Amino acid sequence: MARRIIIIGAHAAGCDAAAAARLTDREAEIILLTNERYAGYSRCGLPFVIGGHIKSFQDLIVFPQSYFKMNRLDLRLESNVTNIDTSAKTVEVQYKDGRVEKLQYDSLIIATGARPAMPPIKGREKQGVYVLRTIDDGERIDQAVREAESAVVIGAGLIGLELGVAFVERGLKTTVVELLPQILPAMLDKDVADFVQRELEKNGLRIVTGKSVEEILGSDRVTGVAVAGEQIQADIVVVATGVRGNVELAQKAGVELGETKLIKVNMRMETNIKDVYACGDCAESINLITKRPVICQLGTTAVRQARVAGINAAGGYAVFPGVLGAAVTKLFDLEVGAVGLTEAFAKRVGIETVSMTLSGKTRASYYPGAMPLRIKLIAEKETEKIVGAQIVGGEGVAQRINALSFAILKEMSVKELAKAETCYAPPLSETWDPIILTAQALLRRIK
Amino acid sequence: MVDVEGYEVREGLYYSKDWMWVKIEDGRARIGVTDYAQKQMREIVFAELPSVGASVRRGEPFGTLESVKAVSDLVSPLSGRVAEVNDRVSERPELINEDPYGEGWLIVVEPTDLEEDIKALMTFEQAVEWYREIAKKS
Repeated sequence: MARRIIIIGAHAAGCDAAAAARLTDREAEIILLTNERYAGYSRCGLPFVIGGHIKSFQDLIVFPQSYFKMNRLDLRLESNVTNIDTSAKTVEVQYKDGRVEKLQYDSLIIATGARPAMPPIKGREKQGVYVLRTIDDGERIDQAVREAESAVVIGAGLIGLELGVAFVERGLKTTVVELLPQILPAMLDKDVADFVQRELEKNGLRIVTGKSVEEILGSDRVTGVAVAGEQIQADIVVVATGVRGNVELAQKAGVELGETKLIKVNMRMETNIKDVYACGDCAESINLITKRPVICQLGTTAVRQARVAGINAAGGYAVFPGVLGAAVTKLFDLEVGAVGLTEAFAKRVGIETVSMTLSGKTRASYYPGAMPLRIKLIAEKETEKIVGAQIVGGEGVAQRINALSFAILKEMSVKELAKAETCYAPPLSETWDPIILTAQALLRRIK
Repeated sequence: MVDVEGYEVREGLYYSKDWMWVKIEDGRARIGVTDYAQKQMREIVFAELPSVGASVRRGEPFGTLESVKAVSDLVSPLSGRVAEVNDRVSERPELINEDPYGEGWLIVVEPTDLEEDIKALMTFEQAVEWYREIAKKS
């Protein structure tokens, strides 16, 4: 009899797990269950639709209905899984019409994702307060922008800043408020973050750091927020203070959580319960440098984990090596990327580091259109291996982050990177690429 | 040739709802996947095709196409015996992406009941309508 694989969740993790499972087992019955109206779309694209760079929310659908049909994947939308019984190997699902069914599985993949965190700010229930996670959220915000003049975003992580930039691009007077003393605290060190903040402020985005929102103001509808004695006017308030993994269903079924409070998995993405796998925002990862469990809720992590979960759930063999947390974004015309550990994070986990920040150009300095590039390179003190990098610039940031991601993965030392070969042509790069120059400068500092 | 929402549908062919086209040539049937199918699959990296002499049955898979992210069964639009196999697509599966109605053909079948099988297929006009509906939905 054909193997039955049930996947709870049908976005980045769920869909890629299904694709990998189908590639591994051509006969398996594969069922995807999601409580949403749409499946297989890119959540990461949502702020860029609001900013007007992408025409419509529908354009974000990367797995259309025909994909599921052609790959014989049984996608069931608006289907809410209410219980998992791991000893009977069943899931209980409630369909849109209210019908309840128990489905038997041979392998189960939990890809339940995450939901926006909602801190207990006074006034958060008011009209005009939003979060951004789904297409429905995006459409609500997009609609509200049409009638708004000002906005406040609470939280200066990737989503918060991307959204703040989108609001400015749509002509709204916008302020981003961050509780911590810097923007992008999970991604950048304060020196690099401060540089990015100044660039964003030059483009008209107001940023307030190190202060908390005391209250969301207004009677029924939001009119502004109170921040450290100041009242900031806002027709729209978006809370973007991170996400929480949807782990409750798994936890109730006896699936073990790790120290990060996300689902604990082994190298094959299997949980503590046989034939039950987890991947995506609800599952934890191992950081390749610290060798410790870490929360890494990125799209790339989701799909890489999902592929491994899908292959194993379908009877194949694959392992997930771990994460370095390579991340990148574009804010106005500024590209911002990072990989590995920040110095601040390294310090928290007891790793001593040396670092160097250098500025360079993205093309030969005499070539028209050459843009500045700022690179911070971080190495572990004793082994002198590269453990982190942060790059800000006008172009070419993403591929340099990728190059450094491979360097960290292969445990390259600063000395080796300083001797590495790069390509060159005046319209595209400098003879000495800024990442090599930064490595050379860091090497001098170490000596 | 007609452009249906960005997907090419060709005159003179029959179409199945399993994304295949059929061209009748002197009582034999040349079979391939449609432009819509190859575009949905994107870069095809592997084609698994039957051998000459194998039997195929209408509505049953005779092979698979594999792309980076997808595996699709090739469902036979009619029953019969495989008379020719396009070995070139086994070596260069990208031909299916480049020219799905031409050099990217898959097999030629000697049908056992062509008249009956054709009734179950869509004509060019019906296929244009059907793909229009499909394209709108996705």
